[in-house]
Order: sequence, then structure tokens, then C-alpha cells
Amino acid sequence: MSDKKYLETHEWYSISENIITIGISDFAQSELGDIVFLTFPNIGDEFTKGSPIVEIEATKTVAEAYAPMDCKITEVNNQLDTEPEIVNTDPTGSGWLVKAEIKNIDDTGMSFQEYESFIS
Amino acid sequence: MDDLLKTPLFEFHTLNKSKLINFAGWSMPFSYEGTLKEHDLVRSEAGFFDVSHMGRIHIDINEINKVNNLICSDLVNLETNKALYTIFTSEMGTALDDVIFWKFDSNLVLICNASNRNKITEHLQNNDISFEDVTLETCLIAIQGPKVIEHFTNFIDIPNKFYCNKNDKYIYARTGYTGEDGLEVMFDNKYLEDFLSILENNNIKPCGLGARDTLRLEASLPLYGFELTDNITPVEANLKWVITNKDKYLGKEIIDNQINTENHKFLKKFLIDSKNIARTGTEVISGDVNGKVTSGNYSPILKKSIGFALFDSKPKTDLIEFDIRGNLVKGEIINKRFLS
Repeated sequence: MSDKKYLETHEWYSISENIITIGISDFAQSELGDIVFLTFPNIGDEFTKGSPIVEIEATKTVAEAYAPMDCKITEVNNQLDTEPEIVNTDPTGSGWLVKAEIKNIDDTGMSFQEYESFIS
Repeated sequence: MDDLLKTPLFEFHTLNKSKLINFAGWSMPFSYEGTLKEHDLVRSEAGFFDVSHMGRIHIDINEINKVNNLICSDLVNLETNKALYTIFTSEMGTALDDVIFWKFDSNLVLICNASNRNKITEHLQNNDISFEDVTLETCLIAIQGPKVIEHFTNFIDIPNKFYCNKNDKYIYARTGYTGEDGLEVMFDNKYLEDFLSILENNNIKPCGLGARDTLRLEASLPLYGFELTDNITPVEANLKWVITNKDKYLGKEIIDNQINTENHKFLKKFLIDSKNIARTGTEVISGDVNGKVTSGNYSPILKKSIGFALFDSKPKTDLIEFDIRGNLVKGEIINKRFLS
């Protein structure tokens, strides 16, 4: 699996063969506050780069996670249905949101160091 | 944030790594350990809130009749040493502010919303009422939760619920804004360190305005600027129980008319049984009656989305529909409190 890359819209992704795993950054979860509901797409739904994939409701506000590249959903993290707080406690690990088949690779995200300087 | 007002607890908030926000011109803690954690702490044990941004005004007891002309509740016949939730009304019967009075032998303590302190002090001046604004010289801390009283029995004489009391250091009432038992304690800034020591020694943790908002919403309590504004009357805000002033007061005729005719807006509580939060400003419809959400958030106890909506007239049906970012989401009007 590749190292995580980050987007300016505060998602992270990692690539393993032709599957991308997508989540939100620790900074994003911290800004959102307590996450209480996530609305996932259906398996098989296709998204173009930059379109919203997951709606994230937090006590403070609502946000969306966007597709880092063109992709087709293969798996959603169903554990978050009953334990959405995992996105707060482990956003870049067990708090991943969806996995998707890459339709058009665009691996231009920032490295962790680049993202750190972007948010600081 | 540099030009914002700071309460005497500002250093405490920063030392305890709170997330600070601008609230009504004050730099205030939104949360420390997370809104849900703080919410749960108050529901199950005890937590404290710095509410020193709220206005604190001393009024001599001789001014009570003049004050009574400006509010929709009967302060004159209220028992001494009792606290009163009431509303300053305009000539149009709408809410200038919702406030708490603590009634003592020699004076009244008026606690108003931070955003309305200037409005209320000008209103008092315009009505020839003498007062002393002690907001900046004092602290106000709300300690809330089922275990608060047992923690404080060694430090103060605990009044009955909705009563107030004072000693040489503290002026306080057994009131709050969370739906839990608790105390609101006011004291001179010089006693802050002593008071913080009491809280620390009893392991009572700080909570932020985020939890204060989810707690008050879950407790079905209105927030000025949302459920009450200078365009909304106490009747429209479903606060008829507050209207106890039988004498003439500002806006009384309009308010009495609304009580008798139902020809007015209606504030209703709602619940949504899906993974959507209808936030402030969301449009809602009940039959052909339009409304807008005034406050909406997640209820940690019910584990559902709840809120208040203001309808243009009496809703036709309890089954309602929200337009949440273009999606139609079903909800239900709740005619009892969210928490039984």
C-alpha cells in the first residue's frame, strides 16, 4: 500500500494496486468536532474527482468528503454506522470511510509533510 | 481573536487547551475534551461552564415595580430568595432578551445574555431604572450535573431548586441551562482562584459552549437569537408559562391577544429518525404551513437528530418534511419534552 497522500479539502487516500482507501485527516476531524452520523454511497456508485462521496454530520457542523480521483465504490466502513466516533479517535486508521476501484488515476495529493505545512 | 473580550477564566481556558470561538464578542471555549464527552459528563456526574460573558446587573429592590413594567412575569409577588426566568418584552410583545432574576431582600441580580447586555442596560436607563453593571468585576460559573449538590454541600448552604442565596463571597442560585440539577455561582474576580480550587479538588471538569448548546437543546430550552428574537413573542416561542404578570407591561395587549386567538407563529420541537441534522435556517413544511429550523443538533441521549422550528402559523400535521441541502427528509413534531 502506498503512503497516505492528502488533499487541500482534508481527505487522505492510499492506493493498493487499483483500490483507493479514503478517509479524512486528523486536522479535519479536529475541526469538525464530534462526528455523529455518516451517510455513505452505495457499493458500485461512481464518482468523479472532486465530487462529494460521504456526508459527515458533526455536532459543530456538516461536511463532505470528496473523491480524490475518478473511482467506483467497492466497500464502505459499516462499523462507523454504530461507532462514528472512530473517525474522531482514529481518522487515518480504523476510521477510514470508503474503498473504491480507481477509474482514472490521479496520484497528485500532498505528502504528510506538505499537508502539515499547508494547514499550519 | 485579539479584539475580543476575555473573561477572568481566559487563562484557564488556554491552559486547558480549549478550542476558543468568538461568541457575542467574547473569546469563549467551545470544547475541551469534545462536546459529546462533556455532554455526557454533565448528564451523568458534574461539569462546569464559564458563563462570565453573560451580563450581571445589580438593581436596587426599590426599582422592582419599574422593572415589572418591562417583563412578562410577576417579579413583584415572587418570594424573596427565589430565582425567576422571564423575558423583557418590547412594545410589540416580542422578546428583547430572556433573563434570570435572583430576588433578594435589598436587591435584584439580573443575568442577561452577553449579546444583549448593551440593549438591556440602555432599556433600563431609558426607563429610569438605576442599576450597577458588575459584569466585568465578577465571574459567573454554572456547575451542572446530578452530583453537583453533593460536591458543594461542604462549601455553601444549598438552596432548594430555583431559589437563590448568598454569603460573604458568593451569590448563587440552584438553577441552570442544561436540564440537570446544579448551581450558578457569581463572585468577585478576586475569588476566582479559590473557586477553581474547589472545582479541581472535586474533580469537576470544564465544559464548553458546544456541550452547553447540545444540553440546552436536549432539555428543550430556548436560546436567544434562535428560538427567541426581537421578532418572536413569548407566546410564539411556546413560553406561555412564563407569562404571569397580571399588571400592565410592555407589549401586554399583543401578547394577551395572541394567547386568545392563536393567530401567530408557532415554535415546535421536532425529531428526525434518520442520519440528518436539520440545522438553523433549514426550511420545513407541515401540510401547507412553512417554517424554518431555529436550532438543530444531535441528541446524545436519544441518539437522534432534534431541534426547534418556527412555523408561520399553527402546523397542520405533526408529520413534517425538511429540505436539507436539496434532499427531502421526514421528521415529526414532538409535543412533549425531548427528555422525560
